[in-house]
Amino acid sequence: MNMHAKQEPLVVVENLVKHFPVKIGAFGNQSAVVHAIDGVSFAIYKGETLGLVGESGCGKSTTGFALLQLHKATSGSVKFDGVDLSKLPAKDLRAMRKRVQIVFQDPYSTLNPRMTIGEALAEPMRVHKICPEKDIQGRVARLIRDVGLNPNVANRYPHEFSGGQRQRICIARALASDPEFIVCDEPISALDVSIQAQIINLLMDIQEKYNLTYLFIAHDLAVVRHISDRVAVMYLGKIMEIAGKDELFGRPLHPYTKALLSAVPEADPDVERGRKRIILQGDVSNAIDPPSGCRFHPRCAHARPMCAGEVPELEDRGEGHFVACLRVAEIEKETV
Amino acid sequence: MTDQALPLPQEEKQFSLAKDAFIRLVANRLAVVGMVLVAFLFFIAIFGPYLTPYDFLSQDLLSRNQAPSWQHWFGTDDLGRDILSRVIYGSRTAVIVGFSTVSFSLVIGLFMGALGGYFGGKVDAFVVWLIDITMSIPSLLLVIVINVSLKPPLVNWMDAQFVATGNEFYRNTIWVDFVLVFGSLALIKWPKAARIIRGQILSIRNKNYVLAAEALGVPTYKIVRRYVIPNAIGPIIVYISAALGEAMVLESSFSFLGVGVRPPIPSWGNMISDGLRIWQLYPHVLAAPAAVLAIVTIAFSFLGDGLNDALNPRQWK
Amino acid sequence: MTKLLEVNNLHTRFKVRNGYLHAVNGVSFSLDRGEMLGVVGESGCGKSVSMMSLIRLLPPAAEITDGEVLLEGEDITHASVNRVNAIRGSKVGMIFQDPMTSLNPFMKIGEQVIESIVFHKKLAKAEALKQAARYLKMVGISNAEHRLNEYPHQLSGGMRQRVMIAMALLNEPSLVIADEPTTALDVTIQAQIVELVKGLREKLNMSIIWITHDLSLLAGMVDRIMVMYGGYIVEEAVLDDIYKSPLHPYTIGLLKSIPSLKTEAGSRLPSIPGAPPNLFAEPTGCPFAPRCTYRVDRCTREVPALATVPGAEGDRPHRVACWVDMRGRGIAQ
Repeated sequence: MNMHAKQEPLVVVENLVKHFPVKIGAFGNQSAVVHAIDGVSFAIYKGETLGLVGESGCGKSTTGFALLQLHKATSGSVKFDGVDLSKLPAKDLRAMRKRVQIVFQDPYSTLNPRMTIGEALAEPMRVHKICPEKDIQGRVARLIRDVGLNPNVANRYPHEFSGGQRQRICIARALASDPEFIVCDEPISALDVSIQAQIINLLMDIQEKYNLTYLFIAHDLAVVRHISDRVAVMYLGKIMEIAGKDELFGRPLHPYTKALLSAVPEADPDVERGRKRIILQGDVSNAIDPPSGCRFHPRCAHARPMCAGEVPELEDRGEGHFVACLRVAEIEKETV
Repeated sequence: MTDQALPLPQEEKQFSLAKDAFIRLVANRLAVVGMVLVAFLFFIAIFGPYLTPYDFLSQDLLSRNQAPSWQHWFGTDDLGRDILSRVIYGSRTAVIVGFSTVSFSLVIGLFMGALGGYFGGKVDAFVVWLIDITMSIPSLLLVIVINVSLKPPLVNWMDAQFVATGNEFYRNTIWVDFVLVFGSLALIKWPKAARIIRGQILSIRNKNYVLAAEALGVPTYKIVRRYVIPNAIGPIIVYISAALGEAMVLESSFSFLGVGVRPPIPSWGNMISDGLRIWQLYPHVLAAPAAVLAIVTIAFSFLGDGLNDALNPRQWK
Repeated sequence: MTKLLEVNNLHTRFKVRNGYLHAVNGVSFSLDRGEMLGVVGESGCGKSVSMMSLIRLLPPAAEITDGEVLLEGEDITHASVNRVNAIRGSKVGMIFQDPMTSLNPFMKIGEQVIESIVFHKKLAKAEALKQAARYLKMVGISNAEHRLNEYPHQLSGGMRQRVMIAMALLNEPSLVIADEPTTALDVTIQAQIVELVKGLREKLNMSIIWITHDLSLLAGMVDRIMVMYGGYIVEEAVLDDIYKSPLHPYTIGLLKSIPSLKTEAGSRLPSIPGAPPNLFAEPTGCPFAPRCTYRVDRCTREVPALATVPGAEGDRPHRVACWVDMRGRGIAQ
């Protein structure tokens, strides 16, 4: 996909922050704050797929939810087509939901068990008055066919379907209001291995057919690489690196990205035997009390005392490649 | 290679969840027994008084304490009243009290539970506090206090109204008993209803399909109507079934203790209480109402268990 | 190498509401001492149930209907409950998927870790704790003595899985069954655990069965791989043969459909159509037949036997259950 031809941002996220208040301690008597996302900024261009990867608890899903205003952000702005969603009154925001949609991770729990598939797909059409009542049945049937199911499933209930089929239904529901932008929140990680490829293909097909823009959230780097145009890597509520797909996977600059890439197993014994893993020490730090300075410094092999003192900003390394690392220049020299 | 998902498996039968639940319920033998018994109870309560062989009040002092016979299937009591007729009429008392109690407690419970579950925060904390306070009051004490403090003024008021207006309705002070019984029962029982409803709403509000509906832009009132209520209904039905049975038992216990429905209006409770005085000599006077009460209790518990299993199918996975 | 484990024609089924779920339908394999076997398949393929059947660690609704399991020559399937309990603790170690729920939140780490050695080896508590600390150190937990006095919630997910591994190893079992031990963990933590287990295996010379749904994960780790589908072993071969010359259409399809960091990005992935089978009906043919592109008539009528075929390089054993000669038709090497 030629992105340079369409350098028009559809979504602009600026300095998004989401803190969750929680109760900790044995009796829930201490208040604390989870720094789920801490100042995240990025743009998504029309027609592209931005992949958002990171480990559990890094804030990638929270970013998607806050972007859609399903979680109210603590601060920061989300502009969709120039409109700041975080400042919209409830009524206008509901109307805006016609244009921005989401596919959730778990297709088992996101369909109302008491609604038939047809009703579930007709719901957004009715809510947003997409078409006259008489056309709804036809549109539902077409949607069902577009996601690769037989239109006669419309009067069945969700519990009659397998995980993969349900995810197809969820995708159809997201498409029902004719959106421009869809957040895919780990859409394949709850599915069986042999089903995942079907859903990835489906998502790519409908993107082309319906001219969609995606934010694709996942923890599986290979999947993100497959479907994305650009990729952002998150760690503990911050974006560590963001670049075009080939650039990021071909020339990762951030030590965390490198470690993440080296941890992905390959289905090839020869590669695995020859590979030298970068094994990160320790666990992801606590989001309640995140490390000072660079969030990654306690696990980073390249960390210096300054990394604990200063928060690195995303820095342009050329070719749309941004890295948040104080020592990126030195590390680049070391490894070359 | 195509990656179309294959069409659905061949079986063309379609089950809605309600139908599916009904099939599961019918497959459960005990539940069917309970269902039949409960249906029979309701039938008797509604049509029974037209079918009874004798008037439940008519005394035949020549045939007191008779053992069961063809004339009196369950025998007669110490005033020579036909026990079968009184048990049948007692079912009406039980059902009236049961239904009014459950509807009252459900109305209060729905309101309070929905309030707490939906708004959360301080409102919820207040509701929970109120539930806990109410539940901590010993129920028998509450009923006695209500009866002792409210019955005399209410009865006096009814009498005064009768004297003033001559309206026959005010003469029948049994209504005071009924209102006090199900009033106090509802006061005892609403916290349980509120707790169940609050729990349901809390858990369904956090369900992903509600989040999904929010993401689709579905307005709040529609979310409540089409997503929250239909999914909350199962446990509420189970609660209604269990609460009906419990209310009938409680009514009997209160009437037994003399703080419920007073004689001569028959209630299984006051019949048992009467029977206890002479049971060594005439056991059948006690046996009939006690057996019926036991059967009804068991019937409701079978039905409740069956409904519970049918509406919350445990997945085999 | 000597045989540690031999499994013959194992069948396990679950009693469900109206009938049976046929989870394991005749599984036969063997495991050598010191060997590491990967068992791979999708959810519901019977991989976990068949491995749990080995030591009869099954829910009450499950029953083993046929077959035998010989561990060091001893028949486990027909042994007494007491004997099986003794075997579970001492000869077989278990590592489960979810380290968050496999530990009792109200017990100190130390007490949980030593429970089984105190029970099986009749060690004194102080002695057992000393040994536990040694094992915690071995699985890479720093400050082990201190950790023994902590509660599970004070440890991270990766740490808890290390504790579980230490617990499994403490009795010096000859066989460790690891059921998706890294599935709940992040990829960087998974890498730590994989390296740890590889190291421990060399050090302790034990046999390991590693159950997973992730075919890529096994590539750098095991000696031999068994692919399961619909309650059957559909293919079994040494590591390299599974990846380089798979013979079963399911293995072939699966390998092609997994996006890797090397596949051509943005292209359509060759996917397997359809969905995994439900196991309520007793199978009458190859379980994969409904989804198989190479299906012939016989596939839907007769269950293919797991037959030994010549390996890619001569003597390496390769077993596959397929009626179609994938090599002969030029689809596989």
